[in-house]
Amino acid sequence: MIREDSKTLLEVRGLRATVNGIEILKGMDLTVKSGEVHAIMGPNGSGKSTFAKVLAGHPAYVVTGGTVLFEGKDLFVLAPEARARAGLFLGFQYPIEIPGVANSQFLRLAYNTVQTGRGRDELDPLEFDDFVREKMKLLEMNPDFLDRSVNEGFSGGEKKRNEILQMALLEPRVAILDETDSGLDIDALRIVAGGVNQLANKDNAVVLVTHYQRLLNYIEPDYVHVTEAGRIIKTGPKALALELESRGYDWLSEKPGAEHGAGAAA
Amino acid sequence: MMKVADNKFLADLLAGHVPADGGDALGRLRARAVERVGALTVPTTRDEDWRFTDLAPLTRISYQPVRAATALTAADIAPFVLTEAPARLVFVDGIYAPQLSTPASGAVLLSSLAAALPAQSALVENELGRMAAFENNAFTALNTAFVNDGALVLLARGATAAQPLHLLFIATQKEVAGYPRCLVVAAAGSSATVIEDYVALTPDAYLTNAVGEFVLADDARLNHVRVQRESAAGFHIGHTAVSIAHGSRYHGINIGFGARLSRHNVEVVQTAEGGECELGGLAMVDGSQLADTHTTIDHTKPHGASRQQHKCIVGGSARAVFNGRIVVRQGAQLTNSSQSSRNLLLSDRARIDTKPQLEIFADDVKCAHGATVGQLDADEVFYLKSRGLSEATARSLLTYAFGAEILRDIPVASLRQRLEQTVLARTEIA
Amino acid sequence: MSSVLQNLVNKPYEHGFVTDIESDTAAKGLSEDTIRMISGKKKEPQWLLDFRLKAYQRWLTMTPPQWPNVKYPPIDFQAISYYSAPKAKKKLASMDEVDPELLKTFEKLGVPMNERAKLAGVAVDVIFDSVSVATTYKAKLAEVGIIFCSISEAVHEHPELIKKYLGSVVPIGDNFYAALNSAVFTDGSFCFIPKGVKCPMDLSTYFRINTEESGQFERTLIIAEDGASVSYLEGCTAPKFDTNQLHAAVVELVALDNADIKYSTVQNWYAGDENGVGGIYNFVTKRGLCKGINSRISWTQVETGSAITWKYPSCILRGENSVGEFYSVALTNHYQQADTGTKMIHLGKNTRSKIVAKGISAGHSNNSYRGLVRIAPSATGARNYSQCDSMLIGDQCGANTFPYIQVSNPGAKVEHEASTSKIGEDQLFYFAQRGIGGEEAVSMIINGFCKDVFQQLPMEFAVEATKLLGVKLEGSVG
Repeated sequence: MIREDSKTLLEVRGLRATVNGIEILKGMDLTVKSGEVHAIMGPNGSGKSTFAKVLAGHPAYVVTGGTVLFEGKDLFVLAPEARARAGLFLGFQYPIEIPGVANSQFLRLAYNTVQTGRGRDELDPLEFDDFVREKMKLLEMNPDFLDRSVNEGFSGGEKKRNEILQMALLEPRVAILDETDSGLDIDALRIVAGGVNQLANKDNAVVLVTHYQRLLNYIEPDYVHVTEAGRIIKTGPKALALELESRGYDWLSEKPGAEHGAGAAA
Repeated sequence: MMKVADNKFLADLLAGHVPADGGDALGRLRARAVERVGALTVPTTRDEDWRFTDLAPLTRISYQPVRAATALTAADIAPFVLTEAPARLVFVDGIYAPQLSTPASGAVLLSSLAAALPAQSALVENELGRMAAFENNAFTALNTAFVNDGALVLLARGATAAQPLHLLFIATQKEVAGYPRCLVVAAAGSSATVIEDYVALTPDAYLTNAVGEFVLADDARLNHVRVQRESAAGFHIGHTAVSIAHGSRYHGINIGFGARLSRHNVEVVQTAEGGECELGGLAMVDGSQLADTHTTIDHTKPHGASRQQHKCIVGGSARAVFNGRIVVRQGAQLTNSSQSSRNLLLSDRARIDTKPQLEIFADDVKCAHGATVGQLDADEVFYLKSRGLSEATARSLLTYAFGAEILRDIPVASLRQRLEQTVLARTEIA
Repeated sequence: MSSVLQNLVNKPYEHGFVTDIESDTAAKGLSEDTIRMISGKKKEPQWLLDFRLKAYQRWLTMTPPQWPNVKYPPIDFQAISYYSAPKAKKKLASMDEVDPELLKTFEKLGVPMNERAKLAGVAVDVIFDSVSVATTYKAKLAEVGIIFCSISEAVHEHPELIKKYLGSVVPIGDNFYAALNSAVFTDGSFCFIPKGVKCPMDLSTYFRINTEESGQFERTLIIAEDGASVSYLEGCTAPKFDTNQLHAAVVELVALDNADIKYSTVQNWYAGDENGVGGIYNFVTKRGLCKGINSRISWTQVETGSAITWKYPSCILRGENSVGEFYSVALTNHYQQADTGTKMIHLGKNTRSKIVAKGISAGHSNNSYRGLVRIAPSATGARNYSQCDSMLIGDQCGANTFPYIQVSNPGAKVEHEASTSKIGEDQLFYFAQRGIGGEEAVSMIINGFCKDVFQQLPMEFAVEATKLLGVKLEGSVG
């Protein structure tokens, strides 16, 4: 929700990044304030997933220009784990499988690390168990999955729910959810979206990276941004997503320069 | 010049060798092979590669090269003819039989090697003997020493063979050694199904020593069904060498039902990024048969994929050997490979030796293999019995189903059905 | 490889110091005279000398195995000293009389030679080069009838047991290195658990090679009578030398009806330096015979050291319903080579075996699992399950799996599974994105990978093994 008294959480200016020497981001601009929900949409290869990974600090990407302030501080001086501890969360498009590491163990370690970073007390295994089970109800998750290895053998839906569970545990300031809707059936989508809605509040912000409008039926964005060729070429209200759904992306790029560089949702 | 092998068995076989005439490419290849035969010996169970297969029954018999080709009629070969595959080459005891063959020309060339040689000498010189290395393989060296004809399939760039191509090798004479040879070269973007089929019209002992080379260029697709249904007294030594290139896909199905003793080496090398290989295998033996299959899938470049499933059904006092190597070389990142060896023992005297092995030198790969040996699942047998089937019928049905899973992939219906009938008939006996 | 991974594989070897102690070291070389000398020093009875000489004659006819997936220059067996012992001033009456220099050495290695030490509850036999220097808790164990002493001592005190069992599981001509050991073994541990006795504490042997040009050829023999049970631990270290030392041990286990032997090893011999110079050649034959019905032998090994490891702790499952287990973690780094695994030979009805092998390769190392599961025609109802997983760290190393499965009984069921995984950029990034740093992530992944094996180890060993893997991998991940 757009609010008068909101704080700027994330400020991206002219961000450029390459992978394997190929430039993918060519000047991204975005401002995210507390309480807001943003949707970044765009055709495959337009740079939206790269944008999410660059913010989180994926080592394969090299930042070649621009600035990103996270709560007013330079994000790029922080290592990936420090960004996470500072409250930047990335929901992975393809959550990684870690055989042999129990989900409960992983979740507790992540939770306690982030808590410690915020100067709060750690939870012991028993306390954590109570805490995590409470959060799991929110996502209608089967408790037995705590004993399974991280994401190993999980269905697509279970993996995505596990991502949102981690978001619920880590209470980020900015959550970037990279194609969290892909591969979900309608029930799973409803549950995942319900989880995100319950976690969104006036102090945090959610950035949804998505290819389809479908997710936005469940999570209502304040802004919709359209990316193409590594830039945001258009920003509009929720209705823009519906327009994209019916007209596709082509009509936007047919008018080159029309909205170029004016994508900041300030 | 001929050098006599110090090993009597090989020397005797080589004694029937007709020295190479002149210095043409084929002649030079033969001469090199003759030399290697002279330097090599028949492998023994002390060789790691032959640990489980004792060649004594083979070497006890002496074999002659074929002197006079048996004259077969269309009626003789009728049981083996595949209606879906009008283009066919027939070899009798390793000798080309033009009267029984229906070659094809043009973009999909199917011809005897000798007939095609004048026009295709450069290609044959480049490819023949390249993939099927004979430096350390006495039997491949022997085959190469005798190579003067064979089956040639040439697929031109982008050509698609609309119908399967049938290569039929028939053994007819007692104590004769035949040396079938196949060369299949698939140019970029071409596709075909090739049936390599070994059958017998004699119940006696003989030796088939076959070598096939399959070269796939970029984006070529080849279905290769190799059926070995030699006579129960026959010996079959086979070597299949395959190279796959960028975007090409090789699907090999190897069926081994016949021979008193058989050994089949399959070597697939991925020579460029992104090749794909699928291997299916079914060896079904009983009595005192021995079927030995050694396969190697060698991933040398990134993004390769391979999938292999090999099954053995072993009854009587028969033995089956499977040795499946998956190699992922340094730098062959993002290889995705899986292999499974499934084995069914039907009798107390049957024996299986299986060794699915992984050799991995790249860290970003996904490889898995599995092996099982056992009998039919008791629950499945019980389930069928609870539906009124007799114990014997339930067992034979489940055994059939076990083998049929491999046969299912054979893209030629009449051949598939015939092989299914064979499996069914054998399971009923077992 | 990312720098986090790099930093995780290269911590210096902690146990690489040499103890300055006066030794009685035999001249290099091997002949019948050497064997007579060893036997003479130990005042052995004639039958044992005959055993040795027979083994030596067999060894002369044998050649080193060529099939393992390891490479090393031929070993000059005449350039090795076959006997080296710290000079004892007099016969020891109690632990307090052990050379203080030795006590200091083992204290530094964390081996409790003092019965009042913090790791009380583990009885230890300590082997320094060729001889056993001390055995703790002997008296206490003797109260329940357990014999735990050096094998040299057992030859004199319990000749009937040694005669009966020595070479009964690993025959003198079993393989090249077992034959060599049978000819020249110098010392080792002996333990005998009588009928019905559950050993009240873990027994352990700590092996230390100290002398540069000596080999270590120890011999261990453990017998568990009907209904007896024992948990036995073995640890090994050696100083850093830039030559290679040979360690060719033989371990024989015998489990009678309903007996249970659990044998755990944490092997941390010097592995050579980061360029592959020096290190121990660890060529070991370990075999257990499940002789009685319902008997059980379980091998657990954590192999992190040695330049070359060639070792296949095996079970011969002769007794009906007997059980063999093998749990292994083998870690190789730098230029280490390991060819290790197990053999499960099923002879009896309804015998069961389980194999869990985890290989971790880093640096330029080469790590092979080689295992045999053989189901004999007599082994109706036999079952085996094997799982062999490999993890590669970096792209200069190799991981191989060579499972040999031989089944001659249709009523048997054998299953083998293998997979590979890795610690790569994406895994570490995922952890980082959840706030977990590189080293912690790697340690979590490795421990998760090895969990099934570590949980088989006695508690103190499990802690040590976890730490050891962390140390060994320092610098290689990332």
